[in-house]
Amino acid sequence: MTGMAGGQVEIVELTKRFDDVVAVDQINLHIPSGEFFSIVGPSGCGKTTTLRMVAGFEEPSAGRIVLDGVDMQHTPPYRRNVNTVFQAYMIFPHLNVYDNVAFGLRRRHESKEEVRRRVSEILELVQLGQLSRRKPSQLSGGQQQRVALARALVLNPAVLLLDEPLGALDAKLRKQLQVELKTLQQQVGITFIYVTHDQEEALTMSDRVAVMNNGHVEQVAPPREVYDQPATRFVADFLGVSNLIHALAESAEAEGVRLGLGDFHISALAGDTAARGAVTCLIRPERVRLEPYEATGANRLPGIVERVVFLGHSVQILVRLAVGENVTALISNTGQDVPYTQGDAVQVHLPAEALRVLGSAAGQPPAKTADTDPAAAGAHATTAAGPVPAAETTIGEQ
Amino acid sequence: MSAVQASGPVAGSSGGGVRLRARRRRNWGGWALGAFVVVYLVWSLAPVLIAFLFSFNAGSSRSVWQGFSLQWWTGPASVFNDPEYRDAILHSLLLAGLAVAVTVPLGVSLSIFLGRWRGIASRPASMLATLPLVVPELVLALAMFFLVTKLLHFISLGTPAQVIGQVTYILPLVIVITRGRLASIPSGFEEAALDLGASPLGAFRLVLVPLLAPAILASAIVAFAVSIDDFVITQYMSSTSATQSVPMVIYNATRGSASPALNASAMVMGVATIVLCAAGYAVYRVVNRREEIVLPQASTTEGALGAALGEGVW
Repeated sequence: MTGMAGGQVEIVELTKRFDDVVAVDQINLHIPSGEFFSIVGPSGCGKTTTLRMVAGFEEPSAGRIVLDGVDMQHTPPYRRNVNTVFQAYMIFPHLNVYDNVAFGLRRRHESKEEVRRRVSEILELVQLGQLSRRKPSQLSGGQQQRVALARALVLNPAVLLLDEPLGALDAKLRKQLQVELKTLQQQVGITFIYVTHDQEEALTMSDRVAVMNNGHVEQVAPPREVYDQPATRFVADFLGVSNLIHALAESAEAEGVRLGLGDFHISALAGDTAARGAVTCLIRPERVRLEPYEATGANRLPGIVERVVFLGHSVQILVRLAVGENVTALISNTGQDVPYTQGDAVQVHLPAEALRVLGSAAGQPPAKTADTDPAAAGAHATTAAGPVPAAETTIGEQ
Repeated sequence: MSAVQASGPVAGSSGGGVRLRARRRRNWGGWALGAFVVVYLVWSLAPVLIAFLFSFNAGSSRSVWQGFSLQWWTGPASVFNDPEYRDAILHSLLLAGLAVAVTVPLGVSLSIFLGRWRGIASRPASMLATLPLVVPELVLALAMFFLVTKLLHFISLGTPAQVIGQVTYILPLVIVITRGRLASIPSGFEEAALDLGASPLGAFRLVLVPLLAPAILASAIVAFAVSIDDFVITQYMSSTSATQSVPMVIYNATRGSASPALNASAMVMGVATIVLCAAGYAVYRVVNRREEIVLPQASTTEGALGAALGEGVW
């Protein structure tokens, strides 16, 4: 029996094929004990299949899963010290809350007193103490989610696997449970492997995030890093709205690279500044600044405001640059009116330190800025999956 | 602004008119349907009631009322004292009990295998398993008769052959009922049980069987009712008069001179079946109330068919 110190997961060259479809393609992940690790990606990227292989419901076609130094290849799910919170909860409808939570303990033949003690302890932890005699059908979605969580946690597993556990809840409850889950994870210290398609959820809760696409791991890094320093265009696109600008990397400059956009020149300091030729640059909308048309200085491009959209917490402004590209700027709502309206001529300031070069774009079809459609962006990024070699995806402890 | 105000009452009144008209029409439809239901109930139940009444006839006629008497229920020639009737009732109950005891476990295991097995042959196998459902019973009976008398000599005509014949006939019904329910149970429940440390057998016993309980119960009731009522196969597979079932006795008796004891025996079987079905239904309701599954996803046409069949039995 592994205590709280365990929960180290090693995934080595893991592959899963369904007939002729490769769902998971030679992925490598190292998850240290006690980490909140998220796997994020669009549907069909292989994240759930990976989780199911760790749980033991799917047999890997190749590769290994090592839990605390033990290869899990011949260990059936009911002998793995790993528990799952299922997407649809899968709470047994014929048992009440108490019996659902006690199910696993009884399979381990714990004494009646021990079962009672641990079940009531965990029900208190997830704030369900009052509802232990209820039937699952008498619970709300959020309560059912807590039962599923308690049922798995009560067994004190080395690793808890969570398959989109908040997917079926409404937005407000989801936000609340995100915070609760994170706090809970810190309390119990169990390794969490959390699968979601919601990039915001992954960024909010995780210690580290793995972004998956088409069976590959595109990047593994802490949330801040995957967001600010995306390794690939897919990662950039999937984790929030981003501007992709096509330019020509011309020559080295101070610490960065000089980029040509039509008749204009700007410089970029981040990313692959050694690249030359056609490149794609990334800048997050919240880093784009709008200035009056009369403003001058480096890294400023003229454009015309096409659309102003009020989003509540911020204002989104779409600007068409004179060089033909579209750029979205996000301005926080500070209570003041945004001084721009449709048709205004503006200077778009793209700060050099916020402009990130994503490697050579040579030979690629000009990708559209798919800032609202991650799936379409994913299709493009597939053709460009080259930049990250498999070895680079194995990232050790921070 | 004024346009909106003006259109308000107009829309309201026209809506009211539509509603009134709809209500009147629905009432006519309701009347017609109600009348139809009453006619149907009288048509189907009145003869049964009349037959029931004639079992209390003082005379030996089954069509002319000669006064009230209990002689066909308690007298020397009554249903419980005439050895032929008594043996037939006991034999029918024995056959039905055996049919239930064999078909339910066998059918449930078969449907779990067919429902959860994902092989290349799983689809053809499911179709084949339910094929006897569409084969005419007479054809099945003739085939079974040939099989038992010409090929499988170790199966003797009489009770063994009758049970085997009935099981063959009833098994597809059990499979259809159970598979409908099974299709509405996501395999995630079994996975959850495995995940929590239950062995595959434990997952079956502790999760799948309780969730299948209503279907298992429905199967048992259907198997019992069909077996009690079965004539063709039971007749072909019978040997001596000791293996006569009630339908066989009734069939033979009506061709000779039958007494109201015949009515009484038919009533005994009818009441037995109804009481059993009602008891089963009561248990089913209790089980179902305990559960009230709101199953996520998983509602296939197969499931709907099964559910319809399962419910339609009542």
